[in-house]
Amino acid sequence: MTRTGDMAPIVDFHEVSKWYGNVIGINKLTVRVPAGVTGLLGPNGAGKSTFLQLATGQLYASQGKVRVLGQRVWNNSGINREIGLCPEQDAFYEWMTGWDFVYTSARLAGLSRWAARDATERTLEAVGMTQYQGRAIRGYSKGMRQRTKLAQALVHDPRVLFLDEPLTGTDPLARHDLMTIIQRLGNERKSVVVSSHVLHEVQTLTPNIILLNHGRLVAEGNVRDIRDLIDKHPHQIVLICEEYRKLAARVLSWPDVEGVRVLSQQKGIMVETHKPDAFYGRLPELSLEDGMAIKEVYSEDDSLESVFKYLVNA
Amino acid sequence: MKPPAVAESPRALDVAPDRPPFGSSRLVSLWTAYALTLRQHLHGKRWMVIAGMCVLCAGLVVVVRATAPDVPAIMLEFVFAFLFIPQAILPLLALIYASGIVRDEQEEQTMTYLLIRPIPKWALYSVKLLATLTTTVTLAVLLTFLTYAAVYVGAETGTKDAPFRALQAASIHALAVVAYCCLFGLISLLTKRALVVGILYAALFEGLIANLPFSIRLATVVYYARLIAYRSMTFLVPLPNNPSRTNDLAAEIWQFDPKTDPGLLSHPQTRTCLIVLLAASAACAVIAAILFSIREFHLKTPEKA
Amino acid sequence: MPIFDQGYQHWKGQLSGHAWRWLAITRHGVRIGMQGRVFRAVLLVSLLPAMALATALCIWGLVERRSDLVSTIVQFLVSAQILSPGIVDDPRHYRLEIWTLCYNFFLSCELTLSMILILLVGPNLISQDLRFNALPLYLSRPLRRIDYLAGKLGVIAAFLGLAIIVPCLLSYGLGLLFSLDFSIVKDTYRLLLASVAYGVVIILSAGMLILALSSLTRNSRWVALFFLGIWIVSNIASGLLELADREQRRIAFNREMTAATPQKTPAPKTREERRRRMEVMNAAQAERLEKLEAQQTEASKSDWRPLVSYTGNLSRVGRQLLRTDACWEKLSEVQPLALRKRFLATWTGPQYPWYWSAGVLSGLFVLSAVILSFSVRSLDRLR
Repeated sequence: MTRTGDMAPIVDFHEVSKWYGNVIGINKLTVRVPAGVTGLLGPNGAGKSTFLQLATGQLYASQGKVRVLGQRVWNNSGINREIGLCPEQDAFYEWMTGWDFVYTSARLAGLSRWAARDATERTLEAVGMTQYQGRAIRGYSKGMRQRTKLAQALVHDPRVLFLDEPLTGTDPLARHDLMTIIQRLGNERKSVVVSSHVLHEVQTLTPNIILLNHGRLVAEGNVRDIRDLIDKHPHQIVLICEEYRKLAARVLSWPDVEGVRVLSQQKGIMVETHKPDAFYGRLPELSLEDGMAIKEVYSEDDSLESVFKYLVNA
Repeated sequence: MKPPAVAESPRALDVAPDRPPFGSSRLVSLWTAYALTLRQHLHGKRWMVIAGMCVLCAGLVVVVRATAPDVPAIMLEFVFAFLFIPQAILPLLALIYASGIVRDEQEEQTMTYLLIRPIPKWALYSVKLLATLTTTVTLAVLLTFLTYAAVYVGAETGTKDAPFRALQAASIHALAVVAYCCLFGLISLLTKRALVVGILYAALFEGLIANLPFSIRLATVVYYARLIAYRSMTFLVPLPNNPSRTNDLAAEIWQFDPKTDPGLLSHPQTRTCLIVLLAASAACAVIAAILFSIREFHLKTPEKA
Repeated sequence: MPIFDQGYQHWKGQLSGHAWRWLAITRHGVRIGMQGRVFRAVLLVSLLPAMALATALCIWGLVERRSDLVSTIVQFLVSAQILSPGIVDDPRHYRLEIWTLCYNFFLSCELTLSMILILLVGPNLISQDLRFNALPLYLSRPLRRIDYLAGKLGVIAAFLGLAIIVPCLLSYGLGLLFSLDFSIVKDTYRLLLASVAYGVVIILSAGMLILALSSLTRNSRWVALFFLGIWIVSNIASGLLELADREQRRIAFNREMTAATPQKTPAPKTREERRRRMEVMNAAQAERLEKLEAQQTEASKSDWRPLVSYTGNLSRVGRQLLRTDACWEKLSEVQPLALRKRFLATWTGPQYPWYWSAGVLSGLFVLSAVILSFSVRSLDRLR
């Protein structure tokens, strides 16, 4: 599959395997996560949690090397100054207020009293929790809890952020806000690795993904590039046109078209092709032909969801 | 799908906090972990349990004094401060707090928030243990003083020496509870059933074996605590039918034989007892810290197949 | 229709009533409890006293039949003064007493082992449901709070029943078979009912107590330690109170005796006088001890201090149900007259009224029920 650029990787897994007794969590994984926002995807049991726990030094690799910012992570507490983790589990010191929790996290990260206070206020404002900071966490809604979790990950200004299912259980407004924050982090040159099941949202955040399945690396890189390389599944392009049958007969004559399906209800056709660029190149000319005015063109499967489906179910 | 518009925030995240030097930031982290653990011990309804424990022993003494006023104060002191507290209360106290140093964080799933901080794991365990020792020693000292107050306030004899004896007893109890906490902290890292093992240890080992006049009692905490108490304090109770004669209560109950061995030369000296208890505690703490640093804590991933 | 829908099939049957809903919770709890290796080991150990009980009853059956198989054992028991020759001469006359005491010893051992079993399986019952927020999952079903609590109590009842009630029944059957005398049923059926009733008392009392404690906190470790405190610390506290009371009585008694004794007598001059003086002093000492013991025995009839011990209260109710003290009194008839009082003082327990202990246990039961009703809330009141 595609490889990333030549920039120094933020996270570097080299031939990493992790066993839990007889169960293999990660299987000879070699991947380099570049700077910027990267989506970590995979079905349940793919190894995403294992990946994140290895990268944050909570587990040690049974085999291979794990490096973050060029340093080993296991039993290297110093690297934790540069790492922030928003864990998936909904666990807090429930008796604390939101402010107290984030402030304590800042102090645990080594910030002085005043710096921690300042950072806590800024971070809580950034995640939209200033209004509720004095309330005990046990009284928070799900969205508030997620924001607070994100705040504790950000408060010490880490260089690398690992977000494990940050959007789980949040309402659309909270989701929008959290995604905005993550995008801004990417724009501020922070490196963010987001593990999520919500594919269309990851796709909104970043085109760069790492796809795991059964503990192995299935694909990494840009979604588009990955899609282009999936030979088994030709691209599906939908064309809407009044004279759709005539259009179907016309495109069937092209050598790179693998198949055509008529969509009579939509008054269009779905074309399967392994060379989408060449196909798109011929479309303007075709559209100018008499009676072949194409009203709409879109791709059914040029999405992260399709990539996920094709690769995971392969 | 179009990306959503980036909302403008009045204060962006791009102002980095000043990064203090590595050394002082490490101290700040350790102090915060220490304070956090202390707060965990005292928050919510836990203080009610603590108050209950402190009041329990003193309350019992008050009831006994009210219903059995002729029992000498020295006997009450011995029974409550040197039998009841060391064999029942202190192990329970240590179990409550020390077995939860790691286990509570794991069960609450808050361990992650500690592990991802720039604190070495061995140091993290050490400060949590230190906070636990602070809590348990404070409680042990408090309940010892309360017990002595209950025994000697308004008593006919022994009130002059009572404060000093209370201090001696509190020191011995503090030493014992430190040893118990270090031991139970280690046990909690070795087995999931730390509570069962701790109870069995306290009941069988400390409760039964320590009372046997055999060398095996050298492996119990309470034996050394008793020796220190016996060598530094006296527990002579006047005989009821002949008040001019006294009975060495401690020697009788603790199976020491001062008649054949007046200086208890066959038993370790006070200094040896102190060294053994402190060394054993330190050894347990160091081993536990090492175990903690090399262990994985699984929160989402399986422990084993 | 030739082609059938392979999708989800809705339940077309009729839902059962509330009578057995609790059983699903009990079954689940028992399955979870049996998964623990330590628990299974302790359960196995708790069956050892049952084997001892069954063995003792079988041996007694053979003793009644004057079987040669047990003659060696009987000789040993007589020589070790465990069994009196008077009992061996007429075993049927003491049948009920021997059976009662065997059951009494069995139930005393099982009381301790039951506490350990409860300590292992009880703390998690409700506290884990609170921790993982499983209560809404239960109460959103057509399940009432009483069904939920009955189910949880059923888990305790299942394990304690296995350790206490089932061995009582099986041992009774075995004892019956080995004696081949069905008049035993007429003599001992009350004992069987009493032992089952005692088992039920332990289950209800300890079961409700551990459930109440478990409902107070999400941390099962604290629940276990609270229960341990109630069990062991209350025992020790009761012992200390009784010790102090005995000491107080001893001091007061000795003070009285000293005041009544003549101050100084001239020192004996001859050996004969010395010997006579020693005899008089020993006799006086023995008389004093006897008076003191009588005082202690009389005082124990109204002594409230044993009520502080939780297991002490359970034992007192058990002794009343089994009528153990009456059995000891009957067995003391074969003892020499001079030793009867000492025999009874050694073997019978505290003599305070049994309904005091019943009152304490009932009070604890009610308190546990009140705690449970506040802690385990209906769905609309869950936070």
